[in-house]
This record gives sequence, C-alpha cells and structure tokens, in this order.
Amino acid sequence: AQMSSSSPSGSGGDDLSERRGIPAAKFIQDVETYLSQSGFDSNSALAFHQERLQQYKVVEMKLLAQQRDLQAKIPDIEKCLEVVATLEARKGTGEVELGCALILTACFKTFSLKDLISMLACEIEHVVSQNIVLASLEESTETSLRVSLLADFEVSEGIYSRACIEDTDSVCLWLGANVMLEYSCEEATALLKNNLENAKASLEVLVADLQFLRDQVTVTQVTIARIYNFDVHQRRVNQVTPTAIAAADA
Amino acid sequence: MMQQGKSSSSGSEMQVTWEDQQNINTFSRLNNRFHELEDDIKFAKEKCDNLEDAGNELILSDEEMVRFQIGEVFAHMPREEVETKIEEMKEATCKSLEKLQQEKESIVSQMAELKKVLYAKFKDSINLEED
Repeated sequence: AQMSSSSPSGSGGDDLSERRGIPAAKFIQDVETYLSQSGFDSNSALAFHQERLQQYKVVEMKLLAQQRDLQAKIPDIEKCLEVVATLEARKGTGEVELGCALILTACFKTFSLKDLISMLACEIEHVVSQNIVLASLEESTETSLRVSLLADFEVSEGIYSRACIEDTDSVCLWLGANVMLEYSCEEATALLKNNLENAKASLEVLVADLQFLRDQVTVTQVTIARIYNFDVHQRRVNQVTPTAIAAADA
Repeated sequence: MMQQGKSSSSGSEMQVTWEDQQNINTFSRLNNRFHELEDDIKFAKEKCDNLEDAGNELILSDEEMVRFQIGEVFAHMPREEVETKIEEMKEATCKSLEKLQQEKESIVSQMAELKKVLYAKFKDSINLEED
C-alpha cells in the first residue's frame, strides 16, 4: 500500500476514510438504497466487495510478516543490551588471588620469574586491569586470575568454545549489511536503547494498522453477507408474487 | 462468521445498523486479542517453569561457577549472582504472566457480553463460536 498522509481525525479509526494507504470500507446503511444508488446489481456488487476483501487479505499478509519481523527483533536487541550491561558490570571485578609459594609454581608454568616480579612491582590495580590468562596449572587452580568474563559460545551445532572477554570500554555492534562498528559501552547502550524504543514504537503503529485493517475486513464480510441475503430475499419475493397472481386468477 | 442466506433464516432482510457493525468489529478484535493472549500465556508459563527448574537445579548442584546464558553465549558466573538473576527473572515473568491472565479474563467477559447483545439481535443469522 502506498504511504499517503492519513487524514487527521478524532481518536479511534472509525471515522477515517483511509489509514496509511489502506482504504476504509464504507458502511452501508441500507442495502437496497446502496444498490440502486450505485447502479450495481447484486452480483456485481458482490464481486466488487469480494475483490476488496482479497486486497485487504494481501495487505494483511504483508503487515503480519512485518509484525513477525519486529517481534523477533525486539528480544534480540534486549539480549544485546543485557550483554553490554553485563560487560559493564564486570569491569574491574577481576581479582588477583595469589599465594606466594604458588606464584613461583605459576612462574615456571607461564612466565619467567623476572617478568612476574616486574609485573608485581607495578601497582596491583595495573595487574588486575591487564588480562593475564594463566594456562591451566596442574598443581593448583587457585592461582588463576579472574578475568572479566569467561563465556562459552557455540562454534557450530553442539560444539562450544571458551572465550575470555577482557575488561573493555568498548564493544562492537553488528549494524547489518556486513558492517560492524566499535562503540564505547555507554554509546552502545544508548544506541541499543534507541533502537529498542523505535522498534517498540513501530510495533505499536503496526498493531494499530492491523486492527484498522481487520475492522475493514469485518465490515466488508458483513456487507457481502447482507447483499447476498438481500439478493436471496429479492428472489423469493419475485418468485412468490407471480404464483400469488396465478392463484388469484384461477 | 455471518451465515450467508441459509434457508434456516427466514431470508428476510436483517437490518444491520452502524452500532451493530461496531459491535461485530469489537468482537472480532477481542477474539483476535484472545488468541494472541493464549499464545503469550503459554509462552510465559513455559518460561516460568523453566526458570523454576533452573532454580532447583542450581540449589542441587554444588558448582561454584555456573554457566548462565546471556544472549547467545554462556557466561561463567559465581553461583550467588546466578541465583539472584534467576530470582529476578522468575519474578518478572510471573508478574507478566499474571497480567496476561487478567487481561484474558477481562476479554472473555467482554466477549460474553457482546455475544449476548449480538445473539439477541441476530439470533441465527450470526455465528460467534469458534470453528
């Protein structure tokens, strides 16, 4: 449906002659008057309204597809927001758990003693903010430094791999069209929240469109039934009259 | 929904006023919303049950680090944090489930009212039941 400006009207869609390109189905007060005024006979009127009904159904399919897309998009965005929030919350929570004797063990495993001593010579916070991932130690697991976030993610169906996500101030967001952009955590949260608001607003408009459309479908269905009933009634009336005359003649 | 000229109806012209049309429209809207709600409620109930099971599993397990699903990945989190998160999620889901069920009840009663009105006027010429 083309996007034409909808006529401003009061609340409720009942008085709109159309809405965002969808024409409203005019309510017929009286079938007989309608038929005589429009010059339609019953059959052509029925055909006209049936076609209208089909057109409405086509638009309904389109809107329903759009609604499904939006309804899938919204939880996606919410998940992204949750991930960013979790990353932000975890910043700086990594702790250093080192026992002295164990450090020496760790040295032999991963770093030279010299390196480790020089690292410890710097401020402890500095060590914490750096992500030093120690390979698994056979002797003791208590020397592991807790990194910002350990996450298991799916590489392929049923196969998972582990990722150590460092303390970070920025995240990358997939914008679509093979484009990924890096944002600071705050910017990312703002962008995602904005997208979420837009998606929810679009969904609201869409739902209202669908309601309007379904109303028009119902009106059209009722109109078709009324024209049909009128036609049946007319035929019965026309049948009865000649017989009554014949009987009167006899 | 409207029976078309069945022989059981007298074939008489049933006058339909704008008010009747609006009632029918409203009923149709309510009916649609009712079906949507049924799906939503089913979904929310499932989620609530899953969270309940997760909570119970958590109590039974003795792991210190639990893998908690965020988005598409499983993040390693300390147990207490996971417990708190699951509690929060359970509360939120159960609350929204309650709201959905309340909306459903209100819709059912509204539909019953409209059915009374419409059947009174149209009797056999209208069918408002589920097929």
